[in-house]
Amino acid sequence: MSDDALDPVIHAQARLRVVATLAALGRGNRITFPRLQKLLEMTAGNLSTHLRRLEEADYVSITKTFEGRTPATYVELTPVGALAFERYTEQLRALLGGVS
Amino acid sequence: MTGNQDAGAVEREELDPRQALGIIDQQRRRAALTEPSTALVTGAWGAAWLVGYTAMWLSAGDDGAPALWAGALALGLGVVAVVTTIVHSARRSHGIRGVSAVEGALYGFAWPVGFAAQGLIVGGISGAGAPPRAVAVAANSIAALVVALLYIAGGALWREPLLYGLGVWMALVAGLAALAGVPVTYLVMGLAGGGVALVASLVVGVRARRAHRARLAGAPA
Repeated sequence: MSDDALDPVIHAQARLRVVATLAALGRGNRITFPRLQKLLEMTAGNLSTHLRRLEEADYVSITKTFEGRTPATYVELTPVGALAFERYTEQLRALLGGVS
Repeated sequence: MTGNQDAGAVEREELDPRQALGIIDQQRRRAALTEPSTALVTGAWGAAWLVGYTAMWLSAGDDGAPALWAGALALGLGVVAVVTTIVHSARRSHGIRGVSAVEGALYGFAWPVGFAAQGLIVGGISGAGAPPRAVAVAANSIAALVVALLYIAGGALWREPLLYGLGVWMALVAGLAALAGVPVTYLVMGLAGGGVALVASLVVGVRARRAHRARLAGAPA
């Protein structure tokens, strides 16, 4: 893979949507799985599959916690993921000849 | 694994850079739904002030004191605006944790603190023997100043031009309302404060909606 190749982990419609949404939440923010699912309008199974792939690449971190007695799963973009997304968008802009 | 990679390759081929940027832009706007709408919140407050304060001005007698019904109406509208703000913000930020939630909570807490201080100051002025007209002027203008400074702080914190601009304007209104004296101070608060906030919020809100629609219409299929 050359340096110019688009990151294959991000450059797939569904995962791009996940990463772009998490990036838009801003650094240091995390979101519950159901809220993310609602924002993305994806099925739970589909979202889980893509999140696993992103987690393997260390692009997202998934935290399972309890709020009172209810279990909650939080998803957050890691610094590695944020950097990869930044690089990816820069590459897209460069490919389009600097058109934003 | 080969099957998965093949599926990925097909997906990649279908996505050109322009489409990819379109998706990013679209998701950014979806994610904006996790933040309260400044236009909606300032609009609700603008409407409450416009109607509440104008009613107080209209009902004011020769002594400059508003009728009880007008005061109750203004208070009721204030409560409606508080509830609207809290419910809207809670709905938007549901399921989001982290630095933004902490910032929002700290900022939100500043409001009751500011108004508690305003109440104490007004009580102090009254206790020091100031005439009711002076107490009324101080109560209105200090409340407007609390709103103004918190709008300015919020506008600076979240880089919200509408919030910042309204904050600066409200600070001027707080000063002008004090100079106007009772009962004209209520009219200044209603029209220049609430009316301007309502109109500015509507303009910003409608523009954002229009820009959103234009982008949807222009987006590649």
